[in-house]
Parts: sequence; structure tokens; C-alpha cells
Amino acid sequence: MQASGATAASPAAAPPASEARGAGLRKWAIVKIGLLLLAVVFLPPYFDDRYLTTILISVVFFGILGAIYDLMVGYAGLNNFGFAGVLAIGSYASALCQLNFGTTGWEGLLIGGIAAGAIGLLTGIITLRLRGLYLGLMTFFVGETIRLTISNLPQYTRGTLGLTVAPFENIFGIDFARGADPLNYYYLLLLLGAVIMIFMHWLVRSKAGLVWRALKEDETAARTLRVRATRWKLLNFTIASFLTGVMGSFYAHNLGVLSPLPTEFGVGRTVEVLTVAYVGGRGTLWGSFFAAALLIGIQEYFRGLGAWRLVLFGVLLILVMIFVPKGLARFKRLLL
Amino acid sequence: MDWSMLADPNILTVLVLQGLVRGAMYALMGIGLSLIFGILGVVNFAHGELFMLGSYVMYLVVGIFGMPFYLGIVAAAGVVFVCGVAIERGLVEQLRRRAGRDWISDSFVLTIGLAVVLQNLAHLAFGSRQYGVAELVAGSVPVGELEISLERLAIFGLACLAVLLLWAFMKFARTGRAIRAAAQNAEAAETLGIDVRNLFTVTFGLGAAFAGVAGALLISIYPASPTVGAEPLLKSFAVVVLGGLGNVSGAIAAGLLLGVLEAFTIFIAADGWQNVLTAYLVILVLLVRPAGLFVLGGKRA
Repeated sequence: MQASGATAASPAAAPPASEARGAGLRKWAIVKIGLLLLAVVFLPPYFDDRYLTTILISVVFFGILGAIYDLMVGYAGLNNFGFAGVLAIGSYASALCQLNFGTTGWEGLLIGGIAAGAIGLLTGIITLRLRGLYLGLMTFFVGETIRLTISNLPQYTRGTLGLTVAPFENIFGIDFARGADPLNYYYLLLLLGAVIMIFMHWLVRSKAGLVWRALKEDETAARTLRVRATRWKLLNFTIASFLTGVMGSFYAHNLGVLSPLPTEFGVGRTVEVLTVAYVGGRGTLWGSFFAAALLIGIQEYFRGLGAWRLVLFGVLLILVMIFVPKGLARFKRLLL
Repeated sequence: MDWSMLADPNILTVLVLQGLVRGAMYALMGIGLSLIFGILGVVNFAHGELFMLGSYVMYLVVGIFGMPFYLGIVAAAGVVFVCGVAIERGLVEQLRRRAGRDWISDSFVLTIGLAVVLQNLAHLAFGSRQYGVAELVAGSVPVGELEISLERLAIFGLACLAVLLLWAFMKFARTGRAIRAAAQNAEAAETLGIDVRNLFTVTFGLGAAFAGVAGALLISIYPASPTVGAEPLLKSFAVVVLGGLGNVSGAIAAGLLLGVLEAFTIFIAADGWQNVLTAYLVILVLLVRPAGLFVLGGKRA
């Protein structure tokens, strides 16, 4: 009885104190985020280690992809199991235009985005009337169709032999040639990522973000409020696909060779991105970067363990699903 | 491509036969997936890995210990059944206790994690080498001017037998009838005194066992390796969607249809294109008839 009395009495006095503490926490969080950003930008050249830079590129790359996936699944409840197919469209569109029409890799970023956005729009039009499970199955098969079509048209795409892609052209006197300092690619990726993340951060706090969350929580209720559900979902799907295509184009010119293998542009890749998004925490956007750092960190640290690191990967996903559905974001307080 | 060849009755017969054998394989792969989805509402992404387990058991029993092949199939069914039961109790049920509205996508993602774990455990245990078993049955029979191998016919026969056993089990056995009742209405079944929790577990085990039997039976076509489950998984999904989600008899019909279509595609286009055709077909069916090809009188979706 006494205990409950105390808790009942405290709220009256508590708000100012907790608010002040919240503000203090927030101030600290901003300082810590600032320090983290400084480290991300300035530490890599200090170490100046090609291996480390390559790993950082892959952390940031998967962080961005995870955040894009989260834009769909965490904010609008749309699961795109054909994600890798959309990525493939971006990669191949940019690479093939460069090869056949002489466009630059920089234009390719836009070309890849538009091509993937168009495919996303098309897929969305035919799938978004379907609900839940059917959407998942449909996107799964759309993704596989894209990959298998690429793989069966070797006269254009060189199929599984692999398509060689030229690097980004030098710009502003910065050297992007193959064999140049990977730090240049790292900073390009940071710039791309910053633009994409700020855009998505703004997007989920705009009216669109509000509508998406309403649809995710209760589509029927949202529809009774005259929300045009399919159109808003289509917007989400198309934007996410466009951004995925841009990342696909970056991937193509950074990696230098494309091949429609399941691990590159198939189920395997989708599973990786999905794991990053789910482990990071759905509906957090930024959680993906911590998940990518953790998962890729595990992979690299345990390189000698071979397949065990992937077992760990799967176990982590299972544990997150069962015990920590909010993902790493649940432990935000420990860090910030 | 000489289209007149398709007018040749011999070639037609062989193509249809090949297609039916292929189709029986697909049906066998798809049944387990369909059963599990129909009762538990779980789209089991680890279905291909259960197939893989079955093929490793087959390799161990027949390839290493030299036992007759039917023992290998029985062993695969048993081992994978136990695995399925353990997976249901250990993981799926744990998630069911906590999951809310997003059960279907959450359970799907859970099984994705499981698939990654199983695939890489197999990699650790057996390496990436393929392990096959020499022909189960030697020889071939003439069909007109061409031949079809006894091995394929045996696969066809055994696949049919497995399907028939499942049908009889669902029709006559007490547990099978309880499963059908729970598929129609789980809550009503529970009020009638059926232990739905155990039923879920048994069903998952049964669906898994079917994947295991498929893996064991098809070892001469799909030799055991950690990634052997990828193609069967894709085909199972296709069969389940074409036949209508959770509709077991639909899955059988869809399997046979798909097999024949693929046999013709390989003949007309080239090997490799049949997978493209399957994917396009599934997309088309999801667009036009999301409830599946074999549901009469409208939607169940």
C-alpha cells in the first residue's frame, strides 16, 4: 500500500525533474552523436588502412541499405523480399548505360535510381493492393525474376560470367580510379549517405511519415479517414526503390564487377539487408548503422571461424525476433 | 527450334512423362510448406534447409552405411520430423507467445534466421562438397522410340505413395482429422477438446518430414550440399502460391502442372529459362487469382 501511495504521489512533483533530466540526457546525446560523427569522418584517414577503410565502406553501405529497408518495413509495414532485385536494377542500369551509351558513373547514380524507382513503382502498382503475406510473396518472386532474367540474358549482361564496370570518373581532381585510395570512395559514400539519411529523416517526420504509420497501425481505420492507402504505400515503395537504385549504382562502380548470383543480388543479399534492418530496430532508421557495425564487425573479427560467424548472424536474428523485437534501438540508453 | 517436333507423339509423350515426374517432385516439396502454412500460418523459409537435412540423412544411411534406400527415406522422415518438432517447440511457439498482429511477417523472418543457421551448420559439419548416392534403381524403359529411366519412375511412384499416405492420414487418422478441423477453425477445435498446441507441433513436424522425404528421395538429382535447398525452396513457394496458400491438394495439382510446363520450356527454349517462366507464372497468378489456380468459386484470401 505504501509503495503504491508513493508512486501515486510522485507524478505531481516529478515532471519538472524528469524533464530536466531528459533535457540533460538529450544534451549529452547530442554531444555523443557529434563525437561519433567526428570519429566517422576524421578517424579513417588517421589510421589510413586500406583494409579498415574497405570494412567501413561496407558498414556504411549496409547501414544505408538497412535504413532504406526500414523506411518500408518499419514505417509503412511493407516487407520487400525482392530488395536485392531492386538493387540489381540500379547496378545494372548504371553499368550498362555507361558501357553502351557512354554515360558517366555520376549520371549513373541518377540513372540507377530512376530505373529502380520505375521498377519499384511498377511492382508497387501490381502488388500493393495485396495485403501482408501476398505482398511478401509477390516481391520475393519479382526479385527472383529480375535476377534470373539478368542471369539468362548473357548477350547483354554477361550473365554469371560477370559484368566488368568502370569506376567513377575523376571529378574535382579527386581520383576514383581502380587502385586509388579507397578513402575517396568512403567519403563519397558518406556524402551520399548523409543526403539520403537527412532526406529520410525529414520524410518520416513529414505528413507522409504520419500517414504511413497510421496505415501500419490500422489500415482499415486509416481508410475510414479517407486516406488513400494504396497511393501512400506506392509513394513509400517508389522512394525506397529509387534510393536503393542509387546505392546499387554506387555498388556497381565501387565493386567493379557484377554477377547475378543469389549471394550478390538474390535471396542472400535481401536476407543480409533485412537482418541489418531488424537487428537495428524497426522504425528507427539510424539503428541500422549500429546493426551493420555490429554484424560486419562480428564477421570481420571472427573471419577465422568461417561459417560460424554466419551461424552467429542467424542466431542473432532469431534472438532479436523472439526476445528483442525492438532491436538494438532498445539499448539506445546505454550508448547515448 | 523446330516446332514440328512438338507434333511428334513420341516426343510429346516423353515430355509429358518427364514433366509429370518433375511435377511429382515439386508436389512433394510443396506439400510440407503448404501444410505448415495452412495450420500454423507460418511461411517456413527454412523449408529448403529441412530438404537439405533429409538429403544428408539419406547420404549417411545409404551412401556411408550402405543400407537399402527405403531405410534412408524412412530415416530421413524420422530425423527431420524430430527436427521439425524441436523447431516448433523451441522457436516458433516462443515467438507465437509474444507476437501480435505481424505474426506472418515476423514468423517468416524468424525462419529466415533459422535457414541461415542450418545452412551454415551443415557447411561446418560437411563442408561445401556435394555428396550424392549412385542411382537408387538402375536401368530404363522404352517409351516409343525414346527411353525414360527407371530411377525417375521410382521417384514418381514413391512421391505418389507419400502423397497417398498423407491423404489417408488426414482422412482417417484421428490426428489427421483434428488437423483438418484446426485448419478450418482453430478456436472451435480447441473448444471441442482438441489440444491445438500439440497439434501445431505435430503438424510442423509432419510438414518438415515431407521436406526431408523429398530431400532423401531426390538425392540423385539434388546431391546433398549446404545450399541444395535453394531451388526446392523456390519451387515449393511457386507450387504453394499456384495451388493456393495452405491448400494441400491444390499444391499437388500445381506441382504436376508446373512440372509439365517446365519440361516443355526446357525443350523449347533452353535449360535455365524454366526458372524464369516459373517466376513470371507465379507473379501472374498472384495478380489474377491470388487465392490460387485450383480454388473454385472465388477468393479465400
